[in-house]
Amino acid sequence: MVLPNLRVASAMRLRGCKSLAAVAAIAISACAGSGEGLDENGRPIGENPGTPPPGGAVDFVFLQSTIFTPLCTTCHAGGAAPLGLRLEPGVSYAMLVNVASVEVPALLRVSPGDPGSSYLVHKIEGRAAVGARMPLGGTPLPQTSIDNVRQWISAGAPAPAVVSVSTAPTAIVASAPIDGEALDAPLSRLLIVVSRPLDASLVNATTVQLRRVGAATQHAPDTAPLEPLRSIRVPLNDPSSVWIETAVPLGTGEYELQLRASGAAALADMAGDAVDGDSDGVAGGDFRLTFTVTEPTR
Amino acid sequence: MTHRTLGPALLAIAALGAAAPVSAEPWLAVQTGFKCIQCHVNPTGGGLRTVFGNVYAQTELAARRLNPDDTDLWTGSISRFLSVGGNARANAELSDTRNLGTDTAFELEELRLFLDFAVVPNRLSVYVDQRFAPGSAANLEANVRLWLREGSTYVKAGQFYLPFGLRLEDDSAFVRQVPGLNMTTPDNGVELGFETGAWSAQLAIANGAAGAAETDDAKLVVARAEFVQPAWRVGASAARNGADAGERLVAGVFGGVRTGPTAWLGEADWVDDDSLGADGRTLLTGLLEANWLLRKGHNIKLTAEYFEPDDDVGEDEQNRFSVVWEYFAIQFLQLRVGARVYEGIPQNDLQNRREYFVQLHGYF
Repeated sequence: MVLPNLRVASAMRLRGCKSLAAVAAIAISACAGSGEGLDENGRPIGENPGTPPPGGAVDFVFLQSTIFTPLCTTCHAGGAAPLGLRLEPGVSYAMLVNVASVEVPALLRVSPGDPGSSYLVHKIEGRAAVGARMPLGGTPLPQTSIDNVRQWISAGAPAPAVVSVSTAPTAIVASAPIDGEALDAPLSRLLIVVSRPLDASLVNATTVQLRRVGAATQHAPDTAPLEPLRSIRVPLNDPSSVWIETAVPLGTGEYELQLRASGAAALADMAGDAVDGDSDGVAGGDFRLTFTVTEPTR
Repeated sequence: MTHRTLGPALLAIAALGAAAPVSAEPWLAVQTGFKCIQCHVNPTGGGLRTVFGNVYAQTELAARRLNPDDTDLWTGSISRFLSVGGNARANAELSDTRNLGTDTAFELEELRLFLDFAVVPNRLSVYVDQRFAPGSAANLEANVRLWLREGSTYVKAGQFYLPFGLRLEDDSAFVRQVPGLNMTTPDNGVELGFETGAWSAQLAIANGAAGAAETDDAKLVVARAEFVQPAWRVGASAARNGADAGERLVAGVFGGVRTGPTAWLGEADWVDDDSLGADGRTLLTGLLEANWLLRKGHNIKLTAEYFEPDDDVGEDEQNRFSVVWEYFAIQFLQLRVGARVYEGIPQNDLQNRREYFVQLHGYF
C-alpha cells in the first residue's frame, strides 16, 4: 500500500519541478529594457526638461524626475490614480501643494514651509495616520530622497520654473470657433488655447463669460445677459487650454465670449502673470471673441 | 454560537467534493476548481471567509493542526445573523537597491476585521471590511448585498473592491498596480453579479475616483466574466473611466490551469489612458505564476511579471521576478518567505532592486 503512494508522490514532485523550471525559463528569457535613448525616467531624451545639476538646490523638477515619475506614477497616474492623487509631470504640483489629503483632510499633502505637517512626508516616512507606507509594497525611499522632499517643502515648496525663456506674456494662441466665424447650430462647446499653463483657480464664471449680443438682443455687449454655462474647466492633462460647455446648445444669433485678464480677478498663468488678452504684447487686457451661430445648412 | 463540531464540518467539505485546499488566493481556487464564493462571503473573493473556507483552513490547508483532538472548529459564525473574520500581516523586510545600499525594516502591513450582518440569512447582508492598522482606522469595504435569486444573482451597493482580473493577494504586482483596480482603490458604486453554473460574472458602475471624492459626472464601468472548470478557468475583464482628466480604457484576459500539483495563473492587461502625457499612452502588463503544492501546507510560488510603461517607447520595459515559500504551519497561521527581483532600465537605480521578506500572516 505504501509503495504506490510513494510513486505517485514522487511523480507529482517531478511534475512540479518541471513546471517551476518552465517558469524559470520564461523568466530568464524576458529582459528589461536597455534604456537606450531614454532618460532616467524611461522617457525619450529631450521629452522632459532637464534636471538641475547635482549639488544644486532641490527643486520640484528634480523631485519629479527622481521620485514621482520613476516610482509613484506606476499607480498614481491617470484616471485611476489612487485617492485621485496624480503624480505625473505637469499635474503633480497642483495635486500636492496646498491640497488637502483625502485620507486625513486636516492635513495638506504639502504644506509649504512645514514638512512635519505635510501628509506626503508622513506617507513616505511610514508614519501616516491612515494606510500603508509609500511606495506601496515596495522599498521605502532612501533617506536622501526623503530629505530632498523635506528640503523642498522647507524652502516653501516652490513651483517648477517656467520652461520657456521667452519674456513675452502668456498669450491666447488659438480658439474654436475663431473670431468672426459663423457656425451651424447647435453649438455647445468652445475652446481657448493659451501659450502657457493657466492658474486653474482663476478660471471661473467671473473670468469667462458668454453673452448673446447683436442687434436682435437690444443690449450693449457688456450688459447683455449671460448665457448659462454647464462647465468651465482647465483639463489636468492640458493646463494651457480652457474648455467651455454651455448649459444648452446655443441657438442662432451673435455671441461674444469674454475672458477677463484685467482687474482684480484676472486670468493668469502659473507664475501669476496676467494673460495678454488684448494681444498688445503687454500682460493684461480682456480677450473678446465674437462669433455667429446660424441655421444649419441643408 | 462560535463553534461547530468537526464531524458535520468535514461532512460538509466531503459533500462539496473538496479534495484540495481553498483560501484567499486565486492559486488555491485553481487547485480546487472552485469559485471565489466557495470560501469567501464576497462573491468576487477576498475578505470574510465562509463557513466552508474557515473549516477548510483548519482541516486541509494547514500542514498540521494544533489540538487535533478538539472536535470544535471555528467557523466565523457568531450567530445565524452575524459572522466575523480578520487578517493580520507582519513583515520583516530587507531591500537592496543598486547604488543606494540596503534598508531593513519591520512593518505591520495590515490588521483588518470583517463583519457580515446577515439580516435576512442568505439574502440580505450588510458587510464591513475595516482596516485598523497601520495608522488609524480606515474603511475599505462597506456595502449592502442583496441576493435577488439566492446563490445566483446579487446586487451590491456601497463601497467595494472593483472586480477586475485575478484577485491576487499581492497588490504590488504589476497586473494589479497598472490597471489601478485593486484592493487599495475601493470605490463607491453598484455591482450586479451572477453566479450561475460554471460562470461568475460582475458588472459594476462606480465613481471612478479611486477612493477620492467624486469630482465629475463621468463614471467608471467595469465588467468581469470568468468560466470555471475543475481543472482550468478563463476569464476577461474590461473597464472604462470617462473622467474629465481623460478617458481611460482597461482590458485584460486571465486564466488558470492545474497540472498535477502545480496551479498556473496568467493575466495580461492593456491600458489606454488619454490623460497620460501629451497624447495619451498605452501600457501593457502581464503575469505568469506557478504554484507548486509541494506537500500539504507547503507551496512554492514562482512569478514572472512584465510591464511596458509606454507602447510607443522602446527599451523601457520592466520585469519583476518572485519566489515565495508559503508555509501554512498550523490552522490560521501562515509563514511567507520570499524574494523579489526588480529589473528596469539601467539608468534608474530604483527600478533595479531586490527585496527579501518574511511575513507572518494570521487569519480567521
